[in-house]
Amino acid sequence: MTATPQLSSADASIERFEKQTSRYGRNTMIIGLVLSLIGPIYIAFFSGLEITGSMVWVAFLAVAGTFGVLWIVEPLTYFPILGSAAMYQAFMIGNISNKLLPAAIVAQSTIGAKPGTKRGDLAAVMAICGAATVHLTSLLLLVGLLGTWLVSLIPAEITDVARLYILPSLMGAVLVQSIVAMKSLRPTVIAIVLALLMTFVFVPLAPSLAMFATAIVVICSTVFSWVLRDRKKTYTSES
Amino acid sequence: MKAQQIMAAGDPGSTDIWALANSPVLRLCALGVFAVIFVQCVLYKRAVKKAAPHVDMPLAEVKESFRAGAVASIGPSLAVVLVAIALLALFGTPAVLVRIGLIGSAAAETGSASISASTMGAALGGETYTQQVFGVAFMAMSLSGAIWMICTLIMTPLLKKGGNNLAKRNPAVMALVPTAALLGAFSALTIAELPKVQRPHDSGLHLRGHDGLVPLSGQDASAQMAEGMGVGYFHRRLDYCRLFLAYRLRNHHDCDTTTFQR
Repeated sequence: MTATPQLSSADASIERFEKQTSRYGRNTMIIGLVLSLIGPIYIAFFSGLEITGSMVWVAFLAVAGTFGVLWIVEPLTYFPILGSAAMYQAFMIGNISNKLLPAAIVAQSTIGAKPGTKRGDLAAVMAICGAATVHLTSLLLLVGLLGTWLVSLIPAEITDVARLYILPSLMGAVLVQSIVAMKSLRPTVIAIVLALLMTFVFVPLAPSLAMFATAIVVICSTVFSWVLRDRKKTYTSES
Repeated sequence: MKAQQIMAAGDPGSTDIWALANSPVLRLCALGVFAVIFVQCVLYKRAVKKAAPHVDMPLAEVKESFRAGAVASIGPSLAVVLVAIALLALFGTPAVLVRIGLIGSAAAETGSASISASTMGAALGGETYTQQVFGVAFMAMSLSGAIWMICTLIMTPLLKKGGNNLAKRNPAVMALVPTAALLGAFSALTIAELPKVQRPHDSGLHLRGHDGLVPLSGQDASAQMAEGMGVGYFHRRLDYCRLFLAYRLRNHHDCDTTTFQR
């Protein structure tokens, strides 16, 4: 895609898009946040369970000790890939790395757009809408309505297979697809080498690293790709 | 009497989690979250359709992106559904839908619940897993999820401003950063799967134990679970200890379908 002839109009409409989605995104996320808290507050404090504030605080602090860093690391990790509009969607829908990111990259490569570009951002937002539609429907039908009945039907083996093999097969396919779509040799090599080192050298040496493995690989690939970039090639911000 | 049926009447010492976890108030809140996400999708779709023609993106491509995203998410959604069903007995339908299906992920949320339960000297599933423990665990995981969202709300505008400034000063960075970040993320996520798949027996053992939740026989499982699940308890308790350890070792907010494997 070459530079658009009406650049100013494109910029203006993107700006409008970002303003709109930021407003929608922020508001819907705040409503979602409030709704997700009403349930537990009601259960914990208004249904006669004799739960005290200090019980909740202790439990919360223990959880924060484990996940606290991720609260900040995750938005940082996914922002460059998702773009600001999709951030509000992704962190409310959840299941980002196993579902939303693959959906976004598949859509971007389907229409030949790169992440971080305007078309890439729009494609990611649409892909996440598509993924959310499928996800909401399947959850509502299969878990919400039929869940208790399905529990009796699904043999444990099938759940095992799903847990074991769906994610790796998906990730493998998406990795290949993103390598093909990006067509940038150096970052690809850097990313794979770093991921291999992380999984087979650093994590076995220091298991506590596993929690941050993805974030560390993302940040290091970005830094190394920048430092070791091909300086003869000129990079443009448009796809 | 009627008011009591609508209002969840809790008993701190009872292990009948479902009596509380499936209360109508929770169901309504869960439906509310579904509705909010649905509304968000509709608004976003409209915004994209308006902006797309101005960036050389025909509407056909917009539709294609939607379809590609939908198709790509069928497999992962099914995996999430299966895991969610396996966890129904522990948290009840509404909590599973909101915490594991949406907002969070099985890994982060079950981990949070397990950690919370341990602060009360209890373990998920088992005689110590009372309504009170469930209440605290549910509260703690929801708070953790809420902070995740608050961080997103605070950081997204800041990151956007930073990105825009950087793009003006150095466009090459902005061309390279998303590419490198994406390749880094998928390399890390894919390669992290390698050691897991190499040891199917290892993980299988653990999973089978964990899946004491899902009865193999064709008996009426829901009745079994509502009763309190008898023998499976002890095994599950052991398993959740292991799950908890697995957590500390390999924790990913989102890697949900596989975190139980170790």
